[in-house]
Amino acid sequence: MSGDPGSDVPHGGLLLAFANAVLGRHSTALADLRETVRTTVGDAGLSDAAGVIGGFDGITRIADATGIPLEPEKVELAADFFDALNIGRFRREKA
Amino acid sequence: MRPALEAAQNVAWRRLGLPGTWWTGAERLAIARETRAAADCAFCANRAAALSPLRVPGAHDVGELSLPPAAIEAIHRIRTDPGRLSEAWFVGLREAGLGEEAYVELVSVVAVTVAIDTFRRGSGLKLLAFPKAEPGAPTRRRPEGTKPGRGFVATVAPEDWTDGDPDMYLDHPGPRRRVGANIHRALTLVPNSMIHWWDVLEELYQEGPQMRDYGVEYRAISHAQIELLAARVAALNRCEY
Repeated sequence: MSGDPGSDVPHGGLLLAFANAVLGRHSTALADLRETVRTTVGDAGLSDAAGVIGGFDGITRIADATGIPLEPEKVELAADFFDALNIGRFRREKA
Repeated sequence: MRPALEAAQNVAWRRLGLPGTWWTGAERLAIARETRAAADCAFCANRAAALSPLRVPGAHDVGELSLPPAAIEAIHRIRTDPGRLSEAWFVGLREAGLGEEAYVELVSVVAVTVAIDTFRRGSGLKLLAFPKAEPGAPTRRRPEGTKPGRGFVATVAPEDWTDGDPDMYLDHPGPRRRVGANIHRALTLVPNSMIHWWDVLEELYQEGPQMRDYGVEYRAISHAQIELLAARVAALNRCEY
């Protein structure tokens, strides 16, 4: 599966930068990236990407505010999940 | 925006102003407004940057003076520093008078507000104006089947659902397909808050069965792209789960 530098997921580097920008505080950077995402994955793709970012911005707060533990079986399951989606080889972005 | 997502967003947003189980509609909206305002709280910014947030002197920039101080602290910490919340901190809120049930409903209001605001920010859409508060008293019903042991608050497992509870899980009457994982159970002390959150989350993200149906792409981006985004947000928010 081809990918951008830093990821084996299609347009992974761009999507990661987009997530960083949405959760960041620099509106100009976000606006520029949003248009690049729109051009790359289309209007529907942009909306769905923003949906995932929004959804997880919320659900992480629920998990941490209620202190729920990760089920032991999910630790193993997550490894299979990422292998199946071929994102187990994600490489860290350089600082 | 997909029509189903727009519909779910609009329903979830309107529900912010409806009377809840433990807070009135007006109080729920105050929580939502304070959630938005907390992002610009200078005290919160100082705490988030500190190694030990509870040692930082100061006070929150408060917009909603009608809310009790414990609720303000909860809203601001969940909004600005969620990755470092502790059970000791939660116990402190309870000792300050914020009930366990009211806390769970507060968490759901904060989460819905943050999720929709972040979605709209990412999409390049204006933030929604808050709805009007609807009249009515909170029902104050605690589910019969609640049990402690999964995190800070009591929860309702699928097998402990009773006839007085709304449809929450796969085994209950109704269309919902949530199986009872810890993340599903997190808000079940207040069933209508659990439903409020999950009905919108499943359109922002995916339903459980869709999530693992690798042979079909339910969104305009792929499963791998979805999970990459999800993992990045979790890392940025320092979420252990």
